[in-house]
Amino acid sequence: MEKIAVSVDDLTVAYNYKPVLWDIDLAIPEGVLMAIVGPNGAGKSTLIKAILGIIDPIAGSIGIYGKPYEDQRQKVAYVPQKGSVDWDFPTTALDVVMMGTYGSLGWIKRPGKAQKKAALEALEKVGMLPFKNRQISQLSGGQQQRIFLARALVQNAAIYFMDEPFQGVDATTEKAIVNILKELRKTGKTVIVVHHDLQTVPEYFDWVTFLNVKKIATGPVSTIFNDDNLTKTYGINYKVSLQQ
Amino acid sequence: MSLGEYFELLFTDYTLGVITLGTAILGAVTGMLGSFAVLRKQSLLGDAISHAALPGIALAFLFTGAKDSNVLLIGALISGLLGAFWIRGMVKNTHLKADTALGLVLSLFFGLGMLLLTYIQKLPNANQAGLDKYLFGQAATLVASDVWIMVAITAVSLFILLLFWKEFKLLLFDADYTKTLGFNTRFIDTLITFFIVIAIVIGLQTVGVVLMSAMLLAPAAAARQWTNKLSVMIGLAAFFGAFSGVFGTAISATQSNLSTGPVIVLVAAFFVLISFVFSPGRGLLFREIRFQKNRRELELKKTLQFMYSIAKTHEDISHPHAVKILNNFQGFTRKTLQQMVDKKWVTLDGTMWSMTALGYEEAENLYSQT
Amino acid sequence: MSTPQIEIQLIAAVVAVACAIPGVFLVLRKMALISDAISHSILPGIVLGFFLTHDLNSPWLILLAAVTGVITVVLVEFIQKTGLVKEDTAIGLVFPALFSIGVLMISRNASDVHMDVDAVLLGELAFAPFDRLLVSGMDLGPKSLWVMGIILLITLGLLWAFFKELKVSTFDAGLSAALGFSPVVLHYGLMSVSSITVVGAFDAVGAILVVALMIAPAATAYLLTHDLKKMLWLSVIFGISAAIGGYWLAHLLDASIAGSITAVLGFIFLLVYWFAPNKGIIAVLYRKRQQRIEVSLLTFLLHLNNHQEESERHINHLNEHINWQKVRSEAVVKLALENNMITVEDQLVSLTDKGKEFTDLALEYILTNKDEHIEHLKKDFFLFRG
Repeated sequence: MEKIAVSVDDLTVAYNYKPVLWDIDLAIPEGVLMAIVGPNGAGKSTLIKAILGIIDPIAGSIGIYGKPYEDQRQKVAYVPQKGSVDWDFPTTALDVVMMGTYGSLGWIKRPGKAQKKAALEALEKVGMLPFKNRQISQLSGGQQQRIFLARALVQNAAIYFMDEPFQGVDATTEKAIVNILKELRKTGKTVIVVHHDLQTVPEYFDWVTFLNVKKIATGPVSTIFNDDNLTKTYGINYKVSLQQ
Repeated sequence: MSLGEYFELLFTDYTLGVITLGTAILGAVTGMLGSFAVLRKQSLLGDAISHAALPGIALAFLFTGAKDSNVLLIGALISGLLGAFWIRGMVKNTHLKADTALGLVLSLFFGLGMLLLTYIQKLPNANQAGLDKYLFGQAATLVASDVWIMVAITAVSLFILLLFWKEFKLLLFDADYTKTLGFNTRFIDTLITFFIVIAIVIGLQTVGVVLMSAMLLAPAAAARQWTNKLSVMIGLAAFFGAFSGVFGTAISATQSNLSTGPVIVLVAAFFVLISFVFSPGRGLLFREIRFQKNRRELELKKTLQFMYSIAKTHEDISHPHAVKILNNFQGFTRKTLQQMVDKKWVTLDGTMWSMTALGYEEAENLYSQT
Repeated sequence: MSTPQIEIQLIAAVVAVACAIPGVFLVLRKMALISDAISHSILPGIVLGFFLTHDLNSPWLILLAAVTGVITVVLVEFIQKTGLVKEDTAIGLVFPALFSIGVLMISRNASDVHMDVDAVLLGELAFAPFDRLLVSGMDLGPKSLWVMGIILLITLGLLWAFFKELKVSTFDAGLSAALGFSPVVLHYGLMSVSSITVVGAFDAVGAILVVALMIAPAATAYLLTHDLKKMLWLSVIFGISAAIGGYWLAHLLDASIAGSITAVLGFIFLLVYWFAPNKGIIAVLYRKRQQRIEVSLLTFLLHLNNHQEESERHINHLNEHINWQKVRSEAVVKLALENNMITVEDQLVSLTDKGKEFTDLALEYILTNKDEHIEHLKKDFFLFRG
């Protein structure tokens, strides 16, 4: 039987007065490249944030390879939404990527040569090495997203969570990111992506979770990515011809 | 007393030395910690906290009867922290927005403080002479022990800053990410807030409740314009702060009837103005110059494209053409033509121009880009 | 009560009302701190005006100082547009600088300007009745009462004339622009009225306490209602109560009237902050506690609805599998039993028909966000009142 990388049991999350995720059960097998899709306000980002402990759930439990997240931080990397940070912050691309090493360093210890080397390698991988000393506000949207990706790569994790990595990026960057994601999967990593563009789901991903406050369906793209589930998720009669 | 005399006196007159050292250290520490407030988008929190400190000073005096500034500052610290955490609670628990919460704490605490101050002033045994200075600050009342406390606080906050440098930077840039890496963000956050409040409190005696927030913001806002590196920004902010302190004290000491606080603030504001206009990277002046330069460059390229369209109709690209056919083209001047010659895009022979291979290539590149 | 006493209270009440009205809009537009900025930065305008007119109540001085206030707003907006610093930093940079200039102007010319730096912060309400308006030898009452009265009348007139526009633009700037009410005109109109009011009130209550008079009544009212008209009325009532109450508190303590007014404002705010029926802290905390239980209840019911298998429905599963935080599972089960939503047999929990219906309705509400599904549930459960 294949290993379960991330398990979510009976997860319920409420923001202020409004419930946003209800009784979610998920078992994400190791080595999949999974998209989380659903309409706006379906709780896609919230699901990731709850798994990562950024938001406290009201009920439910999370397992990363069967253990609580707190004990497994080293196995997990996170790419937040690009808009969640202040890009005018006085720092360079290399500096941001170095932040990916802070988790393994722990409190107070400073990054050294090994961390810098890892950061440079990650920058190379996303094609941003020439921009390493660039101030982050002077990067394009696509370049900023690559920097975020590189920061996650530095964490050298087993599971990657990404919140809308394709939002506001150019076509070249999108292709580059997809290639990196596929490469990650090839090396046995698990990648979980909050995704918006339904058209590209079959092309980019092999696993999909439909989410709209409740979990609608989860499984391989080839078997569950169909009009029926899309309609259930998006409410209105959803007809897109996705078979290419 | 002239400024020159002042700086001569600085090394011989003990009191003057103490005061100047005090304002310099104060400027440095507020500049340093103010950078955090600015980067956290909490610029006006400092304003609210400094006003909120006033009732603490008055109550500390009422309860202890002490004139000793350190006792009063502990009162200020407590009520400042109370204000800071109340703002947070208000935003979290009600639908009142941050600006309303800040404004409420600022004005209500201050009003209470003024009520207490005026009440104290009318008490028969009031040796109240000391309390007024907390409104606008009086650097002249600084004594050596005050300065020692400032030095100690600066040393501690510098130590903490260096110790948790990595964590501070991470939290300032990306709080959620910090949490996922396993850092206790609430601890880091409280640490930052605590030190900002301390910086405000030690500045009250010198700069006063009303203008303290500017001491936090102005050096940091000026420093931000000159660098894209956090460490350099904080260092520069400390330098600007210290310089504003020294220079402000000097000006106010050499002129009659100029209180120190407002002068220090104006010197700091002057730094901000200079930085906004003249910083090479972000400044408005250079931005405008770059904008003009880009526009000229664009016009030059447009002209080159036009010439290219003429030149490519001939087999020999360097076939000479009359200059006057360019006259109808918008943006063409004798000067731009000369610039193109300088760039070796064209050669000029009397009233005829001809394109060079370099210019042809450049123009082709322009086409392929679009 | 002597005549000056009555006059002071009258002036205080008029100032409070004149401040409360623009204050409501500033609070609703998330611009409360602009009042702080204006109240500080008009100081150089006032001093300059005083040099020219030698009369703190001169309409020219008020206009000149009000222009300084509007200039502040423009300057702040200009700095914000450059993108060199964040929005709030722009406010924080402009007003201390202008205020410092004002303070220095006063202290440099102390002999010419009969203004005290303390008065700048506190105002001199106690002396207001002694500056009388004399028209050809006839005493028409205190000057500042006339000044603030006129400002109040103008404010009320503008409020009456543009109420609809203000309302729309405050709640939906986009719609307002689409309807043809220029948000820019309304914005600067509001800024101008605020500036004039601040200048007029400055003499009476000082730079910082005018901020309290603008923000506190509006914020207090906002905790009690979301209706604009009610909010305006409540703010006015709070303002007047604080003005009168503050006067007598000052009388009692022999302390600053303006400081006392603010203290009363603070006291009223604190009362409402704690005890307001829906938005007060006690109500909010109680509701949060209830909600935690109710969300847990619903999670529990939903869980039963989702899982038919016995292992998932065993009562011990509650503790071991659903990871209840902060809420004791007994409380949840008790609530569910009380409402006849579940039955427990041999440690196995089952959903009743009523429980099933409730779960379906709640789920539909959560998914569609449409209120009509749960109208009849609302009175029993806090959860759906948000």
